[in-house]
Formats: sequence, structure tokens, C-alpha cells
Amino acid sequence: MARHSKIHVGLEIGTSKTCIVVGEVRPDTAVKILGIGTTKTAGVRKGEIYDFPQARACLKDALVKAEDASDVEIGSVYLAVTGAHIQGLNSRGTFRLPEGQSIVAPEHVEEARTIARDIHIPPDHVHLHPIIRNYLLDELEHKTSPAGLYGKTVEADFHIVHGIGARIQNSIRLVRETPLEVDDIVFSPIATAQMALDHEQRERGALVIDIGGGTTDYALYLDGAIAASGCIPVGGDHVTNDIHLVTGLPFSKSEKLKIMEGDASADPSRSVGMAKLVDDRGFAEVEVRRSILNEIIRQRLEETLRLVLQRLPEDSVKSIGAGIFLTGGTSLMRGFSELAYDIFGRDIYRPEPPEISGVQASFKDPQYATAIGLIRYAQILETERAAPPGLFGKVSRLFWPFGK
Amino acid sequence: MIPYHRTPQPTLPSSAVKIIGLGGAGVNMLERVALDGTEGAELLALNTDVRTLSACVAGEKIQLGRDLTKGLGAGGDPELGHQAMLEAETEIRDALRGRRIVFICVGLGGGTGSGAAPVITRIAREEGAFVVVFATMPFAFEGRRRREQAETTLNELAVLANALVTFDNNRMGELVLAKQGIHEAFAAADHMVCESIKAVIRLVVRPGLINIGLDDLMSALRTNRSRCLFGSGIAKGKDRAASALRNALASPLLDQGALLKAAQTVLVHLCGGEDLTLYEVELLMQRLQKFVPESAHVLFGAVVDPAMGDSLSVTLISALPEDSLAASPRATSSTAETPLADSASSAAAPPPLLPTPAPEAAPPRDVSLDALPAAPAPSKPRRTPAAETGIPSLFDGGDAPAEPATAATPDPAETAQPAARDSAVSAAASAPIEDPLPEDKPYVFKPIARSSIPSKAIWGRSPSPDADSASDPDADPTPAPQPDPFSAGLDDEAEAPKLKLGVKSQVPQNELSFDSTPRGRFEGQSPNVVDGEDLDLPPFLRKKK
Repeated sequence: MARHSKIHVGLEIGTSKTCIVVGEVRPDTAVKILGIGTTKTAGVRKGEIYDFPQARACLKDALVKAEDASDVEIGSVYLAVTGAHIQGLNSRGTFRLPEGQSIVAPEHVEEARTIARDIHIPPDHVHLHPIIRNYLLDELEHKTSPAGLYGKTVEADFHIVHGIGARIQNSIRLVRETPLEVDDIVFSPIATAQMALDHEQRERGALVIDIGGGTTDYALYLDGAIAASGCIPVGGDHVTNDIHLVTGLPFSKSEKLKIMEGDASADPSRSVGMAKLVDDRGFAEVEVRRSILNEIIRQRLEETLRLVLQRLPEDSVKSIGAGIFLTGGTSLMRGFSELAYDIFGRDIYRPEPPEISGVQASFKDPQYATAIGLIRYAQILETERAAPPGLFGKVSRLFWPFGK
Repeated sequence: MIPYHRTPQPTLPSSAVKIIGLGGAGVNMLERVALDGTEGAELLALNTDVRTLSACVAGEKIQLGRDLTKGLGAGGDPELGHQAMLEAETEIRDALRGRRIVFICVGLGGGTGSGAAPVITRIAREEGAFVVVFATMPFAFEGRRRREQAETTLNELAVLANALVTFDNNRMGELVLAKQGIHEAFAAADHMVCESIKAVIRLVVRPGLINIGLDDLMSALRTNRSRCLFGSGIAKGKDRAASALRNALASPLLDQGALLKAAQTVLVHLCGGEDLTLYEVELLMQRLQKFVPESAHVLFGAVVDPAMGDSLSVTLISALPEDSLAASPRATSSTAETPLADSASSAAAPPPLLPTPAPEAAPPRDVSLDALPAAPAPSKPRRTPAAETGIPSLFDGGDAPAEPATAATPDPAETAQPAARDSAVSAAASAPIEDPLPEDKPYVFKPIARSSIPSKAIWGRSPSPDADSASDPDADPTPAPQPDPFSAGLDDEAEAPKLKLGVKSQVPQNELSFDSTPRGRFEGQSPNVVDGEDLDLPPFLRKKK
């Protein structure tokens, strides 16, 4: 267990912004945000980099800002990746103990895990996370490894996140060129969930939806373990693009209109009249019917949320006890909670980062949820790696349900 | 020929409106109207069967055929119903005197309904009323005979009434679930009729903020030999505008609004409580725009009625020309082929009313009297006897359905007829929109679990090339003969090339072309396709299609 503070850095190269969060993990496991460096991203679409020089420039800019703000020299980062190619799926590995052995040995468990991880993924895909959900020993669920217990069959339930190796490697390469070291790569919604959900919420079942600029990432937790995760390549950019396509306004105006005037709640009373943008001199330069504007936004976001709903395991929404946690920049859209409630019929929350001190104004913003989540992820990973077995190891499992 | 004038529209005294239930089915409908509450209209029940009459809640009742049937029903014999009606003619004339609008609810196919409806329509017209007939067609399982009786009467009514709204009982299956009780099915049917009546009453009786009168109603139904599209929806609460419209479009007569695509004139009437807001109206009209072609003439009316409370009702009325429902690639062959089909079918089948496509019959649209000289065109005569005998009586000379060609040539004497005559002739002249080519009938609704019966397809389009049904395209049209013969003949010319409009199954699937659609920021990227939809295109545009 670390006796001194440790500094972690989270990096998210998002579609709309590149964000570096520097966090200090105190010996008492409290997290303090030292500084945040963000810059608008160029060269990224739908969560994937398509213009490296531009993205690199943005990353450097964010890095300088973060170092300035936190007064820390950043050497390595935890990197959040996303993109439509990344998907999560559940797999179960079953291992039957050899005849004559009735006590589960660690190697038996390992065998079950290997079998579970050995799933068929497309040849160009790589594993991002094999996350252990739980173990089963003769159909009985175990949170921890059943090594040492009596039983016949060991099963390991994994949630496996995989994506196209080349694209993930390119993201890593971009960071390495900066130059920064990459401590680990994390699938964005999983990082977000670290920040958004506490242990109890995961136990009761919760869905985190991080709807950002280019992608909508989601992670579903049921019974304390991750049950589904994925990415839909639709985000706030699409809303802007829709406004642009339907109304013919330029992107900058569409974006402004979306932020200043948009509403997704489908409440007709919020769709009265015209939405205006005024220029510097106070003249209206853009006018759009609110009803059209809101309908464009509503339809896009509704479709996106429905896609999320579709991809969740059947009936899993019913087992969501804690509620649905919305983060990401686009979740700031007016009326988005109402819309989400219409579709999922569950309580809708905006996650509040717990036990984190620092610049309040920064991390309250859901735009930073993923990057802050990375700090949390790093913290958990760190304690997991460093922790000697014992009391703390058990405690840390509360925060780190992924296994080793 | 329409006995009304534009000016005194706004307020119509309640005594000016009369709703008549004729025959057993008609009385049932009338009861439903009475139970649902009528705003400002007198109810009159007419029946031969004194038992059902006495049980009726209507304010006024007249027994038909007091001496003829002696309190019993007409026994399914239209002739008897006809005679019974004539017996009570003076009584009815008194009851209808001075009424501005008369609604007649009748179930066709039976004795009293089929036999008496044309007579009472004529009487009402002669008394100077605007007559709207709501007729239900019999179920397919009731047999061909009844169907034919109903169609015969319907053809007469199309000529006699100012407006004719037809409901096909076969479509009632769409109003209720198959496993629901039969009483519910009938109740739903009656309810539908009742809603229509009430909506029309609301339309013409209430002084509106934006008024809609009979003139608008007439022009909405102007399309000649048309099928009435009618939908009425009511909703309350949040988003009531949208849900009211949804309810209106859910009417089985509208086919989820798909049929409106072909409409040329659409009448939209809104009635709301005092809290009706302009933006709701705007919202609703905007939604409606998606269903109505841009070129359509939208007649809009709005009324604030405190009695509506916090609910909002929407009524959509329109008419589709019959042939726009059938793909009619008959542009060239029509003249040549149709007479053939006609003679074949007239030889084979009793129905006397064969509307024949006679493009030459179009000219008489100017003055109704012109129609007569034009009438002797070879294809015309078959229609004429119906129109002709329809006025005095179809059943005068005995079994009408058995005499298809009583008058092979039009009787010049018929010019002597009064006002109602005009519409008769003009309708007759312009009736020929039907195309009797059986293979031209792709528009076939599923016969509701009755496919074994050689039923006439709903809307009168028979799936089978059986000569009889082919010659009876009136199975369930809602023809609205119009007062002015101007647009009369034009329609079939205009409509003929219009293929497959509004027919759900015929609308070509819109394909998303990845190349032609602008995709803004995501231009040139690999399409982001999920479930066949390109996510990069605005759902707003995708869903609209």
C-alpha cells in the first residue's frame, strides 16, 4: 500500500475535445484533482483519429495546459479509447475438475479463465479488457476466486472488450510520439463508470451513458459486475450535423443553436416560436422554428438512446435498480433527462463525483467524467497491483470488481 | 341545385339539423348518436319494425308502412321498404320541413334501409335540405344478394344525396381485435359512424374562429365518384395535438394517413376547449403536412367550444377518386376495352348500374342539361336508367335488380325533373370513373378472415376477375355527387394517369442513396449503417419519409 501520494494522469482524446486530468491519489485513497488541460480536438471523428498531425497538436496543447494547471511534469498517462469498433461481450469458461480432485486449485481457476477468454474474435481485433464478472462453483456464484473450496465445476464469467488492434495501436502511438508513456488503455465507458458509479449502485444495477461529441458509450452494471458495454458512433456532432443538414445553417451556427436553444424533451410548450441567434450588434442573424430545431434534436437523441437500449441484453433494463447515469457533453442538452426517462423508464441521474477534491467547477462538468474516471481507474489498478494480500485487498475489491 | 347559400352559415339553429335513423341498423346508429349526446340536432327514427322503433330513444319516431307491413319489418325486401316509405311520405315531409341539414344513417342491404333510403333522400332534398347520408355496407358473409341490394341503393344515393359517406362493415374488423365480442365490433362501428356525424355537425353548426361551412365540406368531397376519407380523433392532456392527430389518422378509412397522399382537397377541422392555443394548432398542422401532399388544398377550420373541456378534436375529411385507388394503366385502352367488359358483365349479372368509362361524357360538365344530348354516347345508357329511375323510384316497376337495361337510351323527358335531377345527371355523366378491368385491382385489403367467401374486396375492388363484382365497383365507394357539375367530368381525365397513389403496398420504397444525399460533416466517410439506416443522416429526414 502506497504510503505517499501518487499522481495519475488521465487522457481522453475525444471527438470534440482532448482532455488531460492530473489527479493525486492520497495515501487515504482520496483523490484530488490537481489540474485539467483541455483543448478542442481536431482530426477526430466519431471517437477515432483520422488526422494525426492535427490530433497530435491538440494533444500537445492540452498537455501543456495540464502541466501548467497542475504544476506537474507528466510522463505517463492512462488512455481512454473508444470507437464503434470496440465492443464488449460476455463469455463463460467452464472447467471441470479432474477425477479424484475435489478441492479447486488456483490453476483450475486459471484454466477456467483461459477458456473464458479464449473466445472467437475477428482476426484483426485485440482484447482490451478481459474483465472477470464473477465465478461460479457448481452453479453457485462467487465473487472471488473459488480456489481452495470444494467443488466439481469451476466457471469464470468474463466481460471481454475487444476492438480493432490497429486503431487502438494508432491511438497509443499518437500518445507515445508526444512523447508520453501509456500506463494502460481503458475503454471509455468503463473509465466513466468508475467515476459515475459507486459500489452500491453497481450492486443494484446501473447504466452509464456517456454521450459525447462523436460517440455514445455505455456500460451496464448488474449485480456488481459489468454486464454490457459498447459504443455507438453517434454523438453531439451528429446533432449539429442534423441541424446543419435540415436547416442549411453553417456548422458554427448550428452548434451554437444546439447549445443555446435546443431542447430534447418533446414538450410542445418548449417548442413555441422561433429560436434566434443574435450577432455582436444584437441583430438576429439566425432564426429557426423551435419546433423544428427541437424535433431534429429529439429524433436524433431518441434514436441514439434506442440503439443503446437495443444493444443491452434483453430485459436487463428491468434489473436496473439504481438508475441511469448520464454523462458527457451532450447530456447537458435541455430536456435530455426527460427523453431518457421516456425511453428507459428508469430513474435518471447525473453522476456526482464522490470523494474527490480539487477544482470543483471543473469536474462537476460531465464533459470531464471520462478523464476523471481514468484517475479513479488508475487508482484502483494501482492499489490492486501494489496491495499485498490481506485486509486491504479485500477492501479494494469493493472498488475494483474486475479481478487482476 | 344546392339549396343553400353561403351567407347564413355561422349559426345554424339546432332545429335546422335533423338526424334520421332509417331501418334497423340506422336506428342503432341513431341510438348511439343519442347516447353519445348530440349537440343541437333533432333525432328522428324511421323503421317498419315497430318493436325496435318503440325501444328507440330518439325524440321523434315515425313508423313506416303502417298498413303495409303492419308493424313488422320489411323482411329484407327493398320493394316492401320502398312502398312502406311512400306510405308515410306526407308525415316525413312534415317532419323534414324547413330543415337545413339532414343526416341519414342507414344500413344498406336490408329491406327498410335499402328500399326507403333513396325515397327519404329525395324527400329531404325536395324539402330543400342539404342531405348527408351515412351508409354501412353489409358484411361479406351476408351474401351476394344483400350486397347487390346495397350497391343498387348506394348508386341511387350517390346521385341523390349531397354527400355520401360509406362504411364497410367488412372493415369493422380493423376497429376491434378479432377476439373481441361481436357487440363490441358493432358498437365500434356505430361509434365510428356516430363520431363522423358529430364531427360533421360540429363542422357545419358551430360558428368557428376560422369557419368552415358546407361549402368547404362540399369542396372537400368534390372529387367525383369518390371514396370518402374520414378520420376524427380526440385527445387531451400533454401533447394532445399530436395524439389527436394520431387518433384521427388511425381511422380505418384513412389507412394511417397513407391515403391522404393522393388527396387534392383536405378539410381539417379543429375543435378545442377554451385553452386551445395557437401553437397547438400550428403543431398539429405541421404534423399533418407530412401526410398531405403539398399541392393539396387544405381547408382549415377551428372552433373554440367550452364544452370540449381540455380535450382537442381533429376531423379530417377528404375524398379520393375511385380510380386513384386502383392502378389504372388504361390510358389508351380504356375506350376500347371498357365497353367490352361492360357488355360482358351486364349480360352475366343483374346489377343495373354500370358506370362506364366514357371519356366523351366529360363535356357535359358545363350545364347539366348538356349532359342529355351527350348521354346517348354508346357507353352511357347503362348508367342512365339508374339515375332516371332512381328519382321517381327504382322499385316502381318490380324487381329492379333484375332489369339491367330497362332504358337503353336516356329518356329526354327526364330534363323535366327538379333540382335533384341535375346532380343526378352530372353524376351519371361523370360516374364512369370505375375501371372494370379486374387485373387493375391491386388495391385489395385483406379480407378479414373470410377469404373463402367470394367477397367483394373492400372498397369495391374485387380480387377475383369475376364479372359480377367487376361490374359492381360500387361495393363500397363513398361517392359524393357534387352540386356543381364543373369538376365532374374532369376528374376521371385528371385522375386516370395518377397511378397507385396512396396505396400502401404500392408506394415504392424510398431508398437511401448514399451518394446523392448530403451528409455534411460526415461527407465522404464510410456510411455508418445500423439496421439498414445510415446513422449519419438526420433521423428527422429519415423518419419523415
